[in-house]
Amino acid sequence: MTVEATLWRSIAVFRFASLAYAAALIAVGSASYSRPGWAWAVLAAMAAWTAGTSLAYAVPAHRTRPLLAADLAVTAAALLSTALVQYPHSVEVSATPVTATWVAGPVLAWAVTGGSWAGAAAGIVLGLCDLALHHQALAGAFSSPALNGSVLLLLAGIVVGYVSTLATRAERALQRATEIEAASRERERLARGIHDSVLQVLALVQRRGGEIGGEAAELGRLAGEQERALRTLIAAGREAAPPAGEADLRGLLTPLSASEVSVATPADPVLLPGPAARETAAAVLAALDNVRQHCGAQARAWVLVEDEGDAVSVTIRDDGPGMPPGRLAQAAAEGRLGVSQAICGRLRDLGGSASITTAPGAGTEVRLRVPRGGCGRRNDAAGPRDG
Amino acid sequence: MAESAVRVMIVDDHPMWRDAVARDLAEAGFEVVATVGEGEQAVRAAGACRPDVVVLDLQLPDLSGVEVTRQLRAAWPGAAVLILSASGEQRDVLDTVKAGAAGYLVKSADRAEFVAAVRRTAAGDAVFSPGLAGLLLGEFRRLSASPSPDTPRLTDREAEILRMVATGLSYKQIAQRLTLSHRTVQNHVQNTLSKLQLHNRVELVRYAIDHGLDSDPA
Repeated sequence: MTVEATLWRSIAVFRFASLAYAAALIAVGSASYSRPGWAWAVLAAMAAWTAGTSLAYAVPAHRTRPLLAADLAVTAAALLSTALVQYPHSVEVSATPVTATWVAGPVLAWAVTGGSWAGAAAGIVLGLCDLALHHQALAGAFSSPALNGSVLLLLAGIVVGYVSTLATRAERALQRATEIEAASRERERLARGIHDSVLQVLALVQRRGGEIGGEAAELGRLAGEQERALRTLIAAGREAAPPAGEADLRGLLTPLSASEVSVATPADPVLLPGPAARETAAAVLAALDNVRQHCGAQARAWVLVEDEGDAVSVTIRDDGPGMPPGRLAQAAAEGRLGVSQAICGRLRDLGGSASITTAPGAGTEVRLRVPRGGCGRRNDAAGPRDG
Repeated sequence: MAESAVRVMIVDDHPMWRDAVARDLAEAGFEVVATVGEGEQAVRAAGACRPDVVVLDLQLPDLSGVEVTRQLRAAWPGAAVLILSASGEQRDVLDTVKAGAAGYLVKSADRAEFVAAVRRTAAGDAVFSPGLAGLLLGEFRRLSASPSPDTPRLTDREAEILRMVATGLSYKQIAQRLTLSHRTVQNHVQNTLSKLQLHNRVELVRYAIDHGLDSDPA
């Protein structure tokens, strides 16, 4: 049952209990009323209204403004009827109104429906009626019992309204949390399932395909690529998100790994400001494109990411034929600026540096260094471990 | 090396993998003494089967790779643990290696690579993929932030060699570049791993003492 339904049920219980209390007061003190018959008649009307509203309020669709307004009006009328019932005999007796505590019913109903403000409004309306009644009946309108009752009504409206708003909000938050938990549990379940089946099969296809060779090898390569992509996807769901504005360079570079590209990283996040991380990844991609372009699709490449605290370095090495010294400078001089622009230019913009080491027959090694602005953050301060 | 049948145990919860790996190893002349799908089973079987090499998948249904490795090494210290696992589990790989695994190979490695790795593990050598070298470099870097004098540190030479392994150079190529012997390169690599494993053990003991786990229960 929702919190709101529970509150409405409590209001119904309260109404019936205070109805019984009002009946008891009339039975005991009917002598103080000038027209006890009227008192019982009003009580009968109150009983009918209590039964009717309790039934109506039990259905959420019936908790409408007209009903709430009618509730307030009927209750006020029952309260004011006290004047009719006991006037003028009990002027000096200061009797309790026939409605007694029953007047609080609509205040609670308004509070639960509309919060503190609605509760306070209903409390003030009925409180004023009560005061008016005493003013008519008694000389001292602001005698303490009457004022006390009115203030209590007002406070009940505010407090119950506040509690009801709070409870509804808490219930919604709890529901959202439950949904999120269910979603993440479902994702875990899927991840387990995928790990146990699809990933294993893909890895096996890759392995066997490579052994059989020919077209099967191509299929195996494709399977391997999908296996890595899927695994990265699953792992991404488990990692804690990096702090706002920062990005984990590993997350950008690990997906580049393929059968001919190996990516080695630390076990902990390597954080850089988002744009710097993306630019660095773009430079790495340019270097890998370069490898494919100049050394062929068969050339292997290795990427190593290192967190040096005050800087992040990325090394890209290939096992291609390498270049004779001066070849890069020559290319730049001839106006072919591919490497210089895509890699060195990017790194310069980041305040970093790129160095290229190459020799014929020894492959090419590109080393990028991106300084961290500010005060040398270490990677051990970065992010929680994936438990 | 004449293999008087190296004894291998395979721990993987996926039957298809177990069979494929067992077949490859049998064809290559290894003796597959057990194939199990769960960590606890593996620990129990290790004492009885006495394998020289345990090929271990990190994702088992019951125990973590770290836990299996630790218990396996306790149950049967003669076994060298080779992790055969997929990419994307870097923290798990690092922790398991620190707990005493001798090497790590990705599942997508081809048969020749895999068989060579098992052979090297059986011979007592560390099996270093570029990925593992990258993880170790990162871990030493992380530890270097600690002011304590007994945290392990890499010598310049070791860092240089690990960096070369991480960028795909073979021991032979590294030996050529640095004009060292192949064996020396191998020893340097092995040393980096031993330092971490020793540090890990010392840390565990210190933890146990700090938490009163070493005293006999009264």
